[in-house]
Parts: sequence; C-alpha cells; structure tokens
Amino acid sequence: MISPETFHVVSTELVVGAFSVAGLSFTLCLLLHLGILKQPSWSPVFDHVAHFTLAFGLAATPFAILSGLSSAPGEGLNSPILVNKMFLSMTGFGFALGCLITRWRLGNNVWSTTKSTTLHSASGLAAVGSMLLTASAGGTFARGESLLDILHLPYENVLLFPMIVSATALLLGISMLVLSWKRMNALSSVH
Amino acid sequence: MKSRIHTVLVLSLLLVCSAFGAAEPGGNGDSIQDMQCGGACHGDASINETSSAILSLTSPATIYVGIPTTLTLTATNLEPSSTRLIGLFLLTDMTGHSDTPQDAGWEILSDVNGGAMNYIEQKLSPGQNETSISWVIRASTLGSTTFHAAIHHGGGSSSPFFGTTAMGFEVSVEPVPENLPRLAADFTPPTLRELDTSTELNIQTQFTDSMQFEWKSEDGFITTSLVNSTGDNSWTATLPAALQPTTVQWRVILEGEGPQQTTPWFTLAAEESSWEVSENAVYLQAFALLFMTAGIVITLQTRLTPKSTPSKYDETPVVLEELALETPPSPTHATISDSTPPPLPAAGLPIGWTEAQWNTYGHDYLAGKYGGGQL
Repeated sequence: MISPETFHVVSTELVVGAFSVAGLSFTLCLLLHLGILKQPSWSPVFDHVAHFTLAFGLAATPFAILSGLSSAPGEGLNSPILVNKMFLSMTGFGFALGCLITRWRLGNNVWSTTKSTTLHSASGLAAVGSMLLTASAGGTFARGESLLDILHLPYENVLLFPMIVSATALLLGISMLVLSWKRMNALSSVH
Repeated sequence: MKSRIHTVLVLSLLLVCSAFGAAEPGGNGDSIQDMQCGGACHGDASINETSSAILSLTSPATIYVGIPTTLTLTATNLEPSSTRLIGLFLLTDMTGHSDTPQDAGWEILSDVNGGAMNYIEQKLSPGQNETSISWVIRASTLGSTTFHAAIHHGGGSSSPFFGTTAMGFEVSVEPVPENLPRLAADFTPPTLRELDTSTELNIQTQFTDSMQFEWKSEDGFITTSLVNSTGDNSWTATLPAALQPTTVQWRVILEGEGPQQTTPWFTLAAEESSWEVSENAVYLQAFALLFMTAGIVITLQTRLTPKSTPSKYDETPVVLEELALETPPSPTHATISDSTPPPLPAAGLPIGWTEAQWNTYGHDYLAGKYGGGQL
C-alpha cells in the first residue's frame, strides 16, 4: 500500500512537471502570436502542447491537493503554509480551468487578436505561476527552504476573508461562469 | 549531425543537474528512518561519498529489560557542508531496511531534540567538528542487540556524504533484579509541551518509596523540584513555563527497598501552541477563489474574442479562392485611373472630345466602358 507521502510526491511531480511545460509553451505561443518570434509554423504545435499539458496537470491537481492534506503532519490545516498552499492551488486550478474552457469553446479565435492572445497566454501563465508557488510553499513547509525563497514570500501570513465575503465571491464566480458560458455558446463555432 | 550533438549536450546537462539536486541541504527533519534513507532516499546511493566522520556508541554497563537506558553517539572528525547540518541515525543492523531500533523490539522514549526518533538532525556551530547526542531507549525483550550508527551530511562538493560506525556495538539486556525501584513499564515520558505554561509531569513507578526530581535547562544548571505523591507509586512534579522554544531535560532518583536508581535524562521540548484556523472558512474561500478566477478569465476572454466567428460550415473563403482562379486578370480601376494620360488612338481624339476629357476619361474609353462602345 502506497503511503500518502509518497503518493503526494508522485502527484505533485506530475503537476509541477506538466505545468512547467505548459508555462514554457504559453510563453512561446505569446511570442509567436505577437510576432516577436518569427516561426508561425510552430504556433499550432505549442498551442496543442500548452493546452494538453495544462489539462494533464489540472487532472493531477486534485490528487496532489487531497494527498497533501492526508500526508501533512498533525490534524488538518494546522499551518499557515498549508492554508496558503490550498489557496494558491485552487487559484491556479481556476486559471487553468478558465484557460482550457475558453480554448475549447472559442477554438483558435483566442489567438485572433492581440488582446485575446495576451489574455489567454496570461491566464495560462497565471495558472502555471500559482502552481509553482504552491510547490515552493510545499518545499518551505517540508524542508524549510525553497528555490523561491529569494522572493521572501509571506507564506506565514494568511489572508482569510469572513465567510460571508467568501460565500458572496463564490456565488459571484458561479454566476460569471454561467453567464459567460451562455455568451461563449453564442460565439462558439463548436456546436 | 548538429542536432544529435545538441541532444547529447542537453541530456548530459540534465544528468549533471540531477547530481546537483541530489541532496537536501536544508535537511529532512527528525523522523523514523532506516539506513536506506541515509544512503539513497535523497538520490542515487552510488553518488554518495564516504564521510570522514568517526562514530562511536556507548551505553551503561548494565541494561535491564523494561527500564529506560541511555545510548550515546559521539561523532568526531566532522566535515559538514556550509549549512553545518548533519543527520545521525541509530540503527540495529546494516541491511538498509527494517533496521530501526523499533524493528528490533526497542522503544525510543526520548531523543536529544525533544522527540522520539532514530534519525536526528543537528546544526553544528562554526568551527565545531564533533558532537555527542543521546537517545533514551527501552528494551522489551531479553537478549543481545547490536547497534550501529550512521551519519549523512553535505560537503564541499555537490555529493552527499554517508558514513557508518566501523563495527557494531553490542548490548545485552538482563532481567530486572527483584524489588529494584524503577519507572513503570508502561510509563512514556512526554517529549513536547507548550510555551508559557508550566508542565505537570505525572510519573508512575514500581517498588519506589520516595523520589527526587531534577531538571536542567540548556545551560546545564541542575535544579531540584518538589515531588508530590498522588498515590501508591504515583508522583507529580512541576516544570516551570518556558518563555521561548527551548528544551529542558529531567530525571528522577528513585529510592526503595532495592538499590537507588537514577533514570536517564529525558528531553522535553517547548514549542508554540499549534496554529488554528476555521477549516470551513478556508475551504469556502478556496472554492470562491477557484470559481472567481475561472469566471473572470472566461468572462474577459469571451469579451475580447471577436464576435464574427466563421462557422465551420462556412466555405466562403474557398469559393472566393476558386472564383479568383477562374476569372482572368483585368485592369483595375487603380491602373485605369492612373494619372498618366492614356495614349491617343491612331485616328486622334474621338470626335467631340477635348484633350482634358481624354486625360480624364481616356482609360475608360480604351477599356470600352465609356459610352457603351468599343473603340
């Protein structure tokens, strides 16, 4: 029987690896579509790689979160670093989900203008950044150090909203999802 | 050929990077670990270099079954990395697995860092090249056990260093003499306490008529505290509150019908009280962040993406392309209305035309678009 600690290491390595490749691919997509990198034939390749790896990392993320909670010493969320890890991973999950849904429903049109290209790449890169920060917080929690320690990130401080604010934000988020989903279906060429 | 060379270079670079990332310079924390961890769990065991440290184990001459005893590891000739961090293992064989004292039927009651682990990390002071640490252990069965110690640390190079005792240290466990004053066989000393609160220790003994309680802080000064009897072979003693994370050590001197007994020093670490948070609030905020970020991304993307999206059934571009191929090239308006005057026909200006009219409308006349006729 595999222990939660080992399973957490496996799942986080999958997440971090996949998201890292996605980050590199989104960066190249952005440079290609903005004309900074003069290799238009690479665009479809990096477009596919970016979204495939993002989807793969996204699929592994719930396993990483759940195994992380199981393998943490003590009962439940007993450290501010664990809470920040939870917030960062869920934020990254949201960015990745939005990025993948828009690519799925809007197709290649996400690359049609400079603004939409920039926004799409930025959302993908934000997902990657959130996940890498989560991994960094994990390193700080488990080993007391991380590569991103040079940034002196305040992992020990938690910005926790009152539950009423969180509930309002949750409802607002769900409403935005529903409305934008309807709008996307009106725009989408995928029927 | 060039691409192959590049591939080999990249793969070589990746292999070199794996060696650099093999060790954990920040340590791994105290824990229960077998020797395999010291040899390989932070990387391939084959990349380990041999530590120059000299390790030796010592214990009291007589060890009784069920009675705590101290096992001391002395490490000399240490050459740690710049982090000055070393990891020390107490083991019962060198097979690499199932080799912790617990696997051999021993119980670790206390370690020097305020836990009950067989793997201990220590940070050496600058210039310090030797150290000595102790474990308080208890045997559950009679017989002999061979103990080993191992060390794991960084060094000048990127490779981790690993070393073990030159030979095993054998201890024999003897039966307890009758009426020997001792701690109860099921007594387990606490290893942690909270800051800012005094600690009352409840101690159970056997064959004990009186008890003396001693404790010392990290400066080594020994203090005696009052002991209260709370029943037959049951005692309480109080340790003063710790104001900062630190360790104290305590022991008791037991007197009864048998010879006087002094227990090992048990280590008690003070730490800040555990951090607490409303888990419901955390989970609610986490899901709110998920839906908010996803919602914002999708909303913005749908607004910034152009509405005139061609359907996949729309073949207009293909049809236009085909039409363009079929239509012969014709002079465009731009070429016709060139500012250059058109050449005059051989018969001269058409009848009734002025030169100014020819300069303006001559191109249309020549193209047959003027006046409905061809020249």
